Amino acid sequence: MNKFSLLLCGTFLTLPVQAQEEPFQTVITPAFSPVTWERLVNAESEPENWMMYSGTLDSQRYSRLDQINTDNVTELEMKWSYQIPVIDRAETVPTVVDGVMFITEAPSNLTAVDARTGRVYWRYDHELPEDLRICCGRNNRGVAILGETLFMSTLDAHLVAIDARTGNVLWDVEVADYEAGYSKTAAPLIVKDKVVTGIAGGEFGIRGFIDAYDPVTGELEWRTYAVPGPGEPGNDSWSGDSWKTGGAATWITGSYDPDLNLIYWGTGNPGPDWNGDVRLGDNLYSDSALALNGDTGEIAWHFQFTPHDVHDYDSIQVPILADIEYQGSTRKVMMWANRNAFFYTIDRETGEFLEGEAYATQTWAQGLDPNGRPIPTPGMAPTYEGILVSPPIVGATNWYSPAYSQQTGLFYVTSFDGEQEFFKRDEDYEEGERFTGGGGRYNQPMDAFHSSIRAINPATAEIEWEFPIMPRSSAGITTTAGGIVFTGSADGYFFALDAASGEELWHISLGARVHAAPMTYAIDGQQFVTIASGNVVYTFGLKED
Amino acid sequence: MGNLTTQLGRLLTLALGGLFLAKGSSFAEDAGNLYNTNFDINAGLKYFERQCSRCHGFDAKGNDETGAPDLTSRLARASSEVGLFNIIRTGIPGTAMLPVAADLPDTQVWQLVAYIGSLSTDPANIDLPGSVASGASVFTNKGDCSSCHMVDGQGGRLGPDLSRVGERRSPEELLSDMLNPHTDVAPRWWTMRVTDMDGVVREGLRMNEDSFSLRIMDEELNLWSYPKNQIASFERVEASTMPSYTQTLSDSEIDDLVAYLFSLRKEN
Repeated sequence: MNKFSLLLCGTFLTLPVQAQEEPFQTVITPAFSPVTWERLVNAESEPENWMMYSGTLDSQRYSRLDQINTDNVTELEMKWSYQIPVIDRAETVPTVVDGVMFITEAPSNLTAVDARTGRVYWRYDHELPEDLRICCGRNNRGVAILGETLFMSTLDAHLVAIDARTGNVLWDVEVADYEAGYSKTAAPLIVKDKVVTGIAGGEFGIRGFIDAYDPVTGELEWRTYAVPGPGEPGNDSWSGDSWKTGGAATWITGSYDPDLNLIYWGTGNPGPDWNGDVRLGDNLYSDSALALNGDTGEIAWHFQFTPHDVHDYDSIQVPILADIEYQGSTRKVMMWANRNAFFYTIDRETGEFLEGEAYATQTWAQGLDPNGRPIPTPGMAPTYEGILVSPPIVGATNWYSPAYSQQTGLFYVTSFDGEQEFFKRDEDYEEGERFTGGGGRYNQPMDAFHSSIRAINPATAEIEWEFPIMPRSSAGITTTAGGIVFTGSADGYFFALDAASGEELWHISLGARVHAAPMTYAIDGQQFVTIASGNVVYTFGLKED
Repeated sequence: MGNLTTQLGRLLTLALGGLFLAKGSSFAEDAGNLYNTNFDINAGLKYFERQCSRCHGFDAKGNDETGAPDLTSRLARASSEVGLFNIIRTGIPGTAMLPVAADLPDTQVWQLVAYIGSLSTDPANIDLPGSVASGASVFTNKGDCSSCHMVDGQGGRLGPDLSRVGERRSPEELLSDMLNPHTDVAPRWWTMRVTDMDGVVREGLRMNEDSFSLRIMDEELNLWSYPKNQIASFERVEASTMPSYTQTLSDSEIDDLVAYLFSLRKEN
């Protein structure tokens, strides 16, 4: 019996038998309470809430909840579903604060629901212009929250502050000009008293940046360009004026280390994507991890995964931070399975490369040198006639979240073994127009390729286990203290694996592609796990007696 | 080798035949697309590669992931060039199909329409050497195609339904399908060989495979569904079960079959 029926019983004094059988009385308390910075820093210690895109500032997507575990996960049942009233794929990772769930929807909408029932408190529909410039669909992946305010990116490149209790707009600022090809899809990240957020538009010759905004006023506090301007270090890694249209979009959420006061954020492809002739050089800081000072946005260090990329190998992955045992001592590291098919373990204090190996099929590089710089395979750049390269444009992985378990010490990633013909084209930049310089084509049906969930030991970069699924999955991963890896698949399954062995524990067909990562939370001691599939958000919990 | 040369020769002949026998453009007569020269098609191609290929693919064959449809066969949302023009100009509300830039000249939209039109073959513009009526006879008699393929509800179930195959395959592709059936076999027509826990092997057409289960139809038309974790193993055979017809049919019979299959469309 849920709280609502209890209320009914109390009010109408009906159903006395059921009321007598209820073993305990639940007192309904007000939902939601303000989210302070201290709560966000210590998010791991209140696992009943999921207060940011990646769960915690280190983005491990590791929950301490263990009510659902390897012994009972087969007892999961659907508790509720919420049908997003827009038919489009949902890439949302909901946020839960004290019983209220915030769900972002395509194209740029936001809904608050009761996390116990999926019933709506309020909706916010963001008005969008008709002439958006978006490369790859109408998506939104989640919100950030500070105090009683939610912060959401929108496809017209705005950042919107919304009252968490009512859905009212508190402020709405233009981050960049959508008509010039800018857009926003990722959840912002709260860093102390600022809202840190990136930008999309890497297929439109934009100049990428990371911004920090005042959460109260919406004023821009700092902006760090991901492509250095004239006179700045790294600008000479671009031939001529090519830096002006250099891309390096920052379209997925980063991470933060409060002790080091460093923000970690990935950057995307250089522009144009597939024609490197017009932008000779390494093209800093495209396809890089940037470590930024948490107060000023100043770049402390950078690590470029794919210098002079010509395959669209965005480093748009969520950086996972952890302290691991490495060669006999505890090391503060950042783990990164890159779209370019290499896995990296990097010292997050200094940016020093520690370990790196290919974790998926790749033909573009001969390997990594001692500094982690790839050694390109000759003749793998796109041509006018087309050339076959692995991984394909969508990458060995992409934006969908990996996870790291504190229990197993393993890093989990959704990986893809595929190949594609890459083409080069000559294009002139025109503001607001696509600026990609080519494209790609599969030579085989998708079913001929392979996807799998891979578990990687970050101390050695070796694959410990893998679980095959049908290509090409774009689902993220969450792992829990219950010893479980939760994720989804392209063919509409939501499933649980044993985090230690990769053994299948449970699956359910949800019927539509999973384009999102699961998250988990609890209310009144009951653990739930939520996943979006198609345009529906499903929540599961253990069967009740 | 001789066989291959013959096949290539046939393909070339068909391709050239298509080129030389193309009837004059009907576009100008109905005052539709006035921008359909090779120059326009090429301009449309360039625009497509730049602006459309990210979703629809560089080969315009669509993308299940983005939901962008295949533009190389019959278009579900546009039955005419004007309809296609309107979709490109205004987009499809509520979907990722956005309108083109408002200041893009109509000329360029028409060029894009011409390029997309060039990806599918307009039967009105093609004269094929074979006879449709003779091809229909070969289909059901000597070729015995109908034992595996259905047309308009008549025929077998062990191959694709061909009732509208002319809408999605060009004459060149139809010819290639018959001569080289193992090239580019769609996953639906692969074979799956399943070994169950008792060691029993069962083989059938791969109706569907997903991450946790698979479904096949065996030669007796039985439908089987297997959870992957309850079978010992499974194996894919990524080849067609259809034989090549190079040895069994004459050149003229194959020409007739191509003509017949290409005529199979909704309107017929």
